[in-house]
Amino acid sequence: MSEVSAKATEKTTQQMALLRQFSVPIALVALVATATAVQPSFLSPNNIQDILTQTAPLALVVLGQAFVILVRGLDLSVASLMASVAVLATAFNATSNVMIPLIFASAILVSAVVGLINGLLVIKRNVSPFLATLAMMIVLQGIRFYYTQGAPSGSLPEGFRFLGAGRIAGIPVNVIAFTICFAGLAWLLHKSSFGRKIYITGGNPASADLVGIRSDRVTITCYVICSVMAGIAGLFLMGFVGTVDNWVGRGYELDAIVACVIGGIALTGGRGTLWGAAAGALILVLIFNIVIIMGLPVQAQMIIKGIIIIFAAALFAKAIQA
Amino acid sequence: MIRLDGITKVFPGVKSLENVNFEAKAGEIHAILGENGAGKSTLIKTIAGAYIPEEGTIHFAGQERKWATPKEAKDAGIQIIYQELMLFPELTAAENIFIGKMPRTRFGTIDYKTMYRRANETLDSLGHRLDPRAPVRDLSIADQQMVEIAKALIGETKLLVLDEPTAAISGREAELLFECVKLLRDQGVCIIYISHRLEEIFSIADRVTVLKDGQNVGTHDIHELDRDKLVAMMVGREVNNIFPPKKTPNADVAPVLTVRDLRAPPKVKDVSFDLYAGEILGLAGLVGAGRSEVAHAIFGSMPRTDGTVTLGGEAFNAPTPRDSIDRGLGFLTEDRKGEGLMILLDMAANVTAPVLSEFTTTTGLDRNYEVQAAEDEIKRFRIAVPGPKSGVYQLSGGNQQKILFGRWARACRRVLILDEPTRGIDVGAKVEIYEIIRKLADEGAGVLVISSELPEIVGLCTRVLVMREGSVTGEVVSTEISEETIMHYATAASADAAQGAAR
Repeated sequence: MSEVSAKATEKTTQQMALLRQFSVPIALVALVATATAVQPSFLSPNNIQDILTQTAPLALVVLGQAFVILVRGLDLSVASLMASVAVLATAFNATSNVMIPLIFASAILVSAVVGLINGLLVIKRNVSPFLATLAMMIVLQGIRFYYTQGAPSGSLPEGFRFLGAGRIAGIPVNVIAFTICFAGLAWLLHKSSFGRKIYITGGNPASADLVGIRSDRVTITCYVICSVMAGIAGLFLMGFVGTVDNWVGRGYELDAIVACVIGGIALTGGRGTLWGAAAGALILVLIFNIVIIMGLPVQAQMIIKGIIIIFAAALFAKAIQA
Repeated sequence: MIRLDGITKVFPGVKSLENVNFEAKAGEIHAILGENGAGKSTLIKTIAGAYIPEEGTIHFAGQERKWATPKEAKDAGIQIIYQELMLFPELTAAENIFIGKMPRTRFGTIDYKTMYRRANETLDSLGHRLDPRAPVRDLSIADQQMVEIAKALIGETKLLVLDEPTAAISGREAELLFECVKLLRDQGVCIIYISHRLEEIFSIADRVTVLKDGQNVGTHDIHELDRDKLVAMMVGREVNNIFPPKKTPNADVAPVLTVRDLRAPPKVKDVSFDLYAGEILGLAGLVGAGRSEVAHAIFGSMPRTDGTVTLGGEAFNAPTPRDSIDRGLGFLTEDRKGEGLMILLDMAANVTAPVLSEFTTTTGLDRNYEVQAAEDEIKRFRIAVPGPKSGVYQLSGGNQQKILFGRWARACRRVLILDEPTRGIDVGAKVEIYEIIRKLADEGAGVLVISSELPEIVGLCTRVLVMREGSVTGEVVSTEISEETIMHYATAASADAAQGAAR
């Protein structure tokens, strides 16, 4: 009798493991199926392109956020940074597309500095990631408001619209940009030795130091990566929206964290893949879309988002126990 | 007092209990021995009501009992003191002792006066002096254990289970604990004592039960047994030589590591020594004497304020762990799970962690080469792991430790500092680890072994440094090495020790 029950528990553990392993693809398929059932035109090429275009800016932020979460951190300043970078772009008051590379370069530079400060606060001053990046969020907001005095006034080159919403051979430009970033970062995280150092540091910073890995540098670098990705995402989102106000990317900090959690990046660090994180972003956007398709009030998005976090966290807790 | 008949407990994938009979009487200290995974913890948890056995019966104090919850067992008078103490660090000792049953005044508030008085009485009855008003976080591990025991005494405890109580304490503290346990036995309490350390079993237990692979191999009076018989019972075969033969290194050549006047406050005050290639040098002393800190200060994971160190004849000052590793000095830390093993990574990644650059090419980390290297270590140290790509968390302590040996022996060939290399691993694996240490020294590494287990130091080392309160107080060589001489230097008053060292 005891043997039978043991086998039964073993079977359920295996099923749980399987469920966890494939939870992300299962969720994706289920969501697409639901959406198609409600609205058959959901799978039309045009709609797919639209959804991917909507996903790309969030997914860019998620890629960066994943790096920070992997080293046991959290970055709440990403959305504020996105808006700040957008305001910075208008400050050039440029009309020629020639200026776009310069705008990108300066946005990346500013973002890197922001990431560096975040990282230094967390590592050198031992400020909790939550507080450090929350403070950074507010500081950036203040600087932005001070500069714009209410509303940004500068003009933007036309090219940003193309970057944010245009297509090349039917493929959204921002999806191409995302793919390039994803390929680079996935190599960095999953193939390079630096990626290994990230996992070692995230798993246990104390043992990282004892095998000669400078966990402080690794962590700071992850904050820089996160901010740079947020900066890039800010420019693409600005191009997608077409206008700049003080709130480009509003809410993206929480959406990015939720996407990471859905995608299996453990908030305790050291666990998860970039594939998962990207899929998490797609799942989130699909859910938002389904809410709209089904004619539910937008507020339902928030409720659903909250429920997802609880489910993802519960699934993760089970994984820890097993 | 307690009798288990035919207890069987099954877990998926975990060794458990198979038809175990066990009995412990009132007024005896009954030791349970066994390797890791032999079923000791399962047995305790079954006694404590934390596990419900699939088969078998439990008789406690003459009645058949079926615990549904640990609380039932506790209310019946069974107290378990687990290895990880279950105390509230922010509360005082007395509050911890009386947790859940604090005396009340007639207004229903806590009667602190009575509580502290009774806490004092209880602690006195244990022959132990500590301030019941001190917050537990300020107490030493040994004092915290006393609090746990006092806590057990407040309730009507008939059966007290101690799970590896000496794992984190040593020397005098352990002796105090033994006295206290014996006192309880003489008051008629039935005591079940779990330990890895054979030596203390002989000094404390009345009877011994050995578990192996979830079965009771036998229960004996302590007088019927000796060390070899016990080891044979635990391992299931005769182990003739626990320790490999000693070899005296060639001291004519220059030492591979010299340390002079090392200071790293607050724990390390004055440490000087030489380590030769091929030597196994012991570093003994009581817990808290500053041994691990010496290792950290040499390795570079803790700052040093003073002292000169040379490695391979070259100055080696203000290093970082990276410098140490690059120059062939490795450090296997004492806290295997907290500071050594990377439980989220696979076995291969655990092996290559200190020398990732060796596996890095222009296209990234060479995973094939890494897996190959890990396979070599699996063969070299006979690591029982499914493969280089499998996880390390569920492995036994011995195999986890062998992985760490693979890591450090591979990365660093000049000097290896091993801090408590056999802590918490079973006898069979210990023997293998000792062979590995010998082999590494034979291959030319200078090995510094830090250990609280004196028999290990005595059996393994050709020279032993003894530390006390941050300073080296003695050096014992070859035939003089014995537990007594080491303890003498480890505990003697400073002046006394200085004389001894001069002699």
